[in-house]
Amino acid sequence: MSSKMQASQAGQALWSKMPKANAELFALTYGSLVTELVRDYEDPIEVNAQLDRIGHSIGVRCVDELLSKADVAGMGLATQCQNLRDTAEVVAKVGFKMFLGVQAEVGGFSQDQRSFSIYLQDNPLATFVELPAAGDEQYNGDDLRKLKYSNLYCGVIRGALEQVNLKVECNIVRDTLKGDEVNEIRVELKEVLADGAGDDYKEE
Amino acid sequence: MGFLHLFIVNKSGGLILHRSLSSAAPQIGTNEWLRIGSTFHSLHAIAAEASPVKLPNNKNSNGAQDGIEQIEGGGVILKCLQTRTGIKFVITAEPGTSDLDTVLREIYVLYSDCALKDPFYELEMPIRCELFTNSVDSLMKRVVAGEVMMR
Repeated sequence: MSSKMQASQAGQALWSKMPKANAELFALTYGSLVTELVRDYEDPIEVNAQLDRIGHSIGVRCVDELLSKADVAGMGLATQCQNLRDTAEVVAKVGFKMFLGVQAEVGGFSQDQRSFSIYLQDNPLATFVELPAAGDEQYNGDDLRKLKYSNLYCGVIRGALEQVNLKVECNIVRDTLKGDEVNEIRVELKEVLADGAGDDYKEE
Repeated sequence: MGFLHLFIVNKSGGLILHRSLSSAAPQIGTNEWLRIGSTFHSLHAIAAEASPVKLPNNKNSNGAQDGIEQIEGGGVILKCLQTRTGIKFVITAEPGTSDLDTVLREIYVLYSDCALKDPFYELEMPIRCELFTNSVDSLMKRVVAGEVMMR
């Protein structure tokens, strides 16, 4: 199907219209946010939860930006997303490209088509990050192995999809910071929320 | 020809913005606006359910996928854009005014750019964001001057 092509072209076109910010400033800002959270909460599990929460607030807002701009630019996304596969394509190829300038790949659909993975080669949030090694006493390395540095993504995806009536659960399952060769975010569809006035996400 | 009013209804039927777009627009009090907003929301929902025709690609088992898109009367046209996140942007204008669709889409972009990015704006709450209202005003000026090109 040509939807793969379409989505990545749409992502490219939208990215070219976005105002750009300095990537280093962005990475450093996020870094200071995470370290501040680590300092405040101490427990990395709690930090992960906070990052997810912050991401959620971002996601519920930025989904409208994607939808409105794609619509105005005549991407024809309005009629799409008949199934989770289409949604995954749009999140990875349009969403990630538009807001972060990196292209993500989709794969690993489960048998029942209710969960998939998003693969990120480059992670713009983690440009300068090196997690302390396990056993590093000084930096609390053991504990920080539990930190999901980029857990913000999970929140963003969850928030954005929630706004279009898809309840999902997201998890970072592989992380280049921990030595994996790729970043993998697992997204699992829990429920398609029904809306009193019809399924909004399907309509034109 | 000319635009009259703009109002925005959130997904639970609450009015989050109303604004007159020209001096020719009739004066309507805030209470009436709130009533119009929620009445429209209900009518929109009923219209979707009541549609007798099932259009192709419609996934709902009965009714239409979307409610009211446009209402035309002798002295007014009303056009509604419901986003997939459930917000309704509604614009009214004098008959013969063109480009209502484009204007609504542009307003949606302004909403996502100005209102949603204000960290102190809470979702679903009334929009009190000067940047947004100013942008809408300047969009209207550009439209009236014919500068907004219809894509």
